[in-house]
Amino acid sequence: MQKKAILLGSDAIAHGVRLSRPEVISAYPITPQTHIIETLSEMVDSGELKSQYIKVESEMSAIAAVLGSVSAGSRSFTASSSQGLAMMHEVLHWFAGARLPLVLVNANRALGAPWNIWSDQSDSFSQRDTGWLQIYCETSQEALDTIIMAYKASEQLMLPIMVMIDGFILSHTMERLLIPEQEMVDNYLPAYRAPYRLDPDNPMTFGAAAQPDLFYEIKKTFSATMTEALTVLDQCQAEFAQKFERSYEPVMHCQEGDDESDTAVLCCGAMTGTVRVAIAELNKNGTPTDLYKLRLLRPFPNRELGSALKDKKRVIVLNRACSYGVGGTLSQEVRAALYNLPQRPIVNDVMISLGGKEVFPETIIKLVEEHEQLSSVNCNWLDQ
Amino acid sequence: MSQLKHVKAIQNGDFSGLPVSAGSTAVNLTGSWKFFRPHSVIKDSPCRQACPLQIPIAGYLDKLEKGKVSEALKLLRDYNPMPAVTGRVCPHFCQNACNRQEFDEAVLIGDLERYLGDLGLEDRHPKCTNQRSEKIAVIGAGPAGLSAAVFLARQGLQVSIFERTPAAGGLLRYGIPAYRLPRNILDREIENLLASYNIELHCNREIEPTQMAQLKKDYHEVIWAPGLQNSSLPDAWCSTLRVKGALELLAAINRGEDIAGQSFIVVGGGNAALDVARSLKRLGKQVEIIYRRTIAEMPAYAEEKKQALDEGLLIHEQEVVEKIESKENILQLNIHQAHNHEAQISAGNFLRTFAADYLIAAIGQESNLSFDTSETIIKAGDFDHGAASVAEALASGRRAAESILEKLEINSAINLNNNSENPIVVENRHLHLDYFTKKPAINVPELKSSVRKDNFSEIRQSLNLTQIQSEIERCFHCGSCTACGICWFFCPDVAIVIDREEDDPAKRVLFDYDHCKGCGQCAAICPRGVIEMEEDN
Repeated sequence: MQKKAILLGSDAIAHGVRLSRPEVISAYPITPQTHIIETLSEMVDSGELKSQYIKVESEMSAIAAVLGSVSAGSRSFTASSSQGLAMMHEVLHWFAGARLPLVLVNANRALGAPWNIWSDQSDSFSQRDTGWLQIYCETSQEALDTIIMAYKASEQLMLPIMVMIDGFILSHTMERLLIPEQEMVDNYLPAYRAPYRLDPDNPMTFGAAAQPDLFYEIKKTFSATMTEALTVLDQCQAEFAQKFERSYEPVMHCQEGDDESDTAVLCCGAMTGTVRVAIAELNKNGTPTDLYKLRLLRPFPNRELGSALKDKKRVIVLNRACSYGVGGTLSQEVRAALYNLPQRPIVNDVMISLGGKEVFPETIIKLVEEHEQLSSVNCNWLDQ
Repeated sequence: MSQLKHVKAIQNGDFSGLPVSAGSTAVNLTGSWKFFRPHSVIKDSPCRQACPLQIPIAGYLDKLEKGKVSEALKLLRDYNPMPAVTGRVCPHFCQNACNRQEFDEAVLIGDLERYLGDLGLEDRHPKCTNQRSEKIAVIGAGPAGLSAAVFLARQGLQVSIFERTPAAGGLLRYGIPAYRLPRNILDREIENLLASYNIELHCNREIEPTQMAQLKKDYHEVIWAPGLQNSSLPDAWCSTLRVKGALELLAAINRGEDIAGQSFIVVGGGNAALDVARSLKRLGKQVEIIYRRTIAEMPAYAEEKKQALDEGLLIHEQEVVEKIESKENILQLNIHQAHNHEAQISAGNFLRTFAADYLIAAIGQESNLSFDTSETIIKAGDFDHGAASVAEALASGRRAAESILEKLEINSAINLNNNSENPIVVENRHLHLDYFTKKPAINVPELKSSVRKDNFSEIRQSLNLTQIQSEIERCFHCGSCTACGICWFFCPDVAIVIDREEDDPAKRVLFDYDHCKGCGQCAAICPRGVIEMEEDN
């Protein structure tokens, strides 16, 4: 039984967290994430969610607090955005290195300067190399579902997972949702039993100094586990689809062109919704185009992406984060994934939006129709 | 599934490749890195420092807070043999020094002492087990004499007190009115002392200095604590019997005698002036006070002044009585403006004449005893140091006793003459006030002035148990460890253990020097200024 509701994206996420039964929540407010933890604090206050809510004075403390609670064996939750996520950076590395499971929701928002509170993906893309799994959501329903799946995967892998939503675009808009019953979620997500934990009666040493050879060995294992994470995620998504009747994959084929279609558009996050409209229009008007959305940035689904795009002549990658001096961060990831294909498609790197710049279907249509004008070497920035 | 080698390994409890070790870091003796080490240094609190009897207030309050009532009482009485009395009549030097004053209000130490003292009124002091042969005579059974006797008897000496009046107590009985010190409290406190110790009390036995030679034959040592029996009177006033001394009149009132006369002028601004005026008022007499300086400058205790004014006592400030004339059955007084020039008071302009039955002089006390100056005698109380508080009299008696004990080479655990212990006094700047919550002192109930004006019922009421607990919690315990655990919380090396059951505050925080790296956070954060760093050798 899944209850129908129309809720704000932030509230949908709070329900996803509530259903996952975290024992500890610690977070520090930041726009546009604040509503999530406000709703959670109210759920804790009312008794609807039995959890310890630790108030802190900064994001650094929030992530450090849950570092402690997870080390002690408690399922935990935190959320942040933009500058707040950047402030957590040091502990993000430690979290993954220490092999501690956690779900962190990040409401994607630009990083200053100049000051900007609107959506882009620079904040989480900057945390690409911290060893966390990263999943990007298109809708609030997807975010709610992903949180539940992420806890399951995270605890199997003993790795932390960051779940991304677009600030304001998802967090502050209402959507029709299916909210699963607690019993269904309990049936899918068992209570967390830490294989090792902080316990005064059984002292162990966590993250102590490792000599160079041991350090290398530990990181090698880490890397291998990260590769295995794709399989674990697949299993978690498959079981979720079976129990909740909603299925998700690392690379999702959202719009299909016809057999003639040799152009694909690739993006991630809530922007996919807008791009869907544009691609449908293109297909209707005789420009067959496929649309793929990428859910998983880490580990990067190289094989899945390669098999999806192997027959395309052109992939237009829509970026909302820039690695300055190279181009769109997502484009670089896509290029690397396609490098080993026998016939590599052209990759057009497009910086479609930063700092909340509006994305219109007409812009996408024009980009695809006039693709000949796009550089396949340099990053394509839009004219005003 | 087989490719999930690493994931399965974790799930099956094989942690190889993970940054976790089943071993403890306790083997790593990080304590060897330190140059400085923390240690507990129990310091003196300003309240104790200010107390003439050096009562370890933080110490007995700590025991009281932990419910160890008899231990608290014992510790208090070790230093002060009459806490039910001082809890009422001491001006509370301790409270005037309390570090909490700057935070909100001083802790009501007096009321806490009174509570504990009252609990002990029927509780015998521990008997001294070793009897000694030395006999000591104490002249005067006031607070100083009684205190001296107790501290001697505690060491097994045989003490005889000679008191010229019919009952022990001195000024406590014949000076301080019952509304400040109920007689049943005083009687029970003294009875308990006499019943607990080997002290012989001889009342109605006035001893003159001329008897010194005989006393020296019969006794090992003699302590003179006869007090100051006489009120000082200016010569000009001695011509008439309508001038009386405050002490003599107070004694008559306290003996329950009928007091002749209806209208009284009391001259003076000390406690004796207020005591006699307020007592007369309670007997239905008309009383006014003439004082040469301002009311604010009156040396009487602030609480007494406030209560006197509440009771409607008329105090004429900055006035002097310049001329007195005894006419028929009345006394005629000329009242002048007090002229204050460089702190010297003289009579200024004439203000008015005043007729009264009696003029009461409360301008000082003196002794009529005179000794051969070549002779060294041991003195105690007001006779030694001049008119002072009860606590100072008790301390003086204790000092006299301790000087005799020293001569006899008897070691007593505490000694007012040897004050080298705990020389550091914790000041407000040593405390971390962030760890304390503001909470005003209990509003101590008092009899309303309308209820108390014509009787001698005790004005200030006892606190109940809830109020006592609330007030104890306000004590900062300056310089004393309460096992609060703040240091434990901050220690980054988990190198502190708190022993909450430990009786000795110096041993409540235990440092694991094998792992303490000497960072000093515990010393910096201690709310009570207890932990200090010392060089690690």
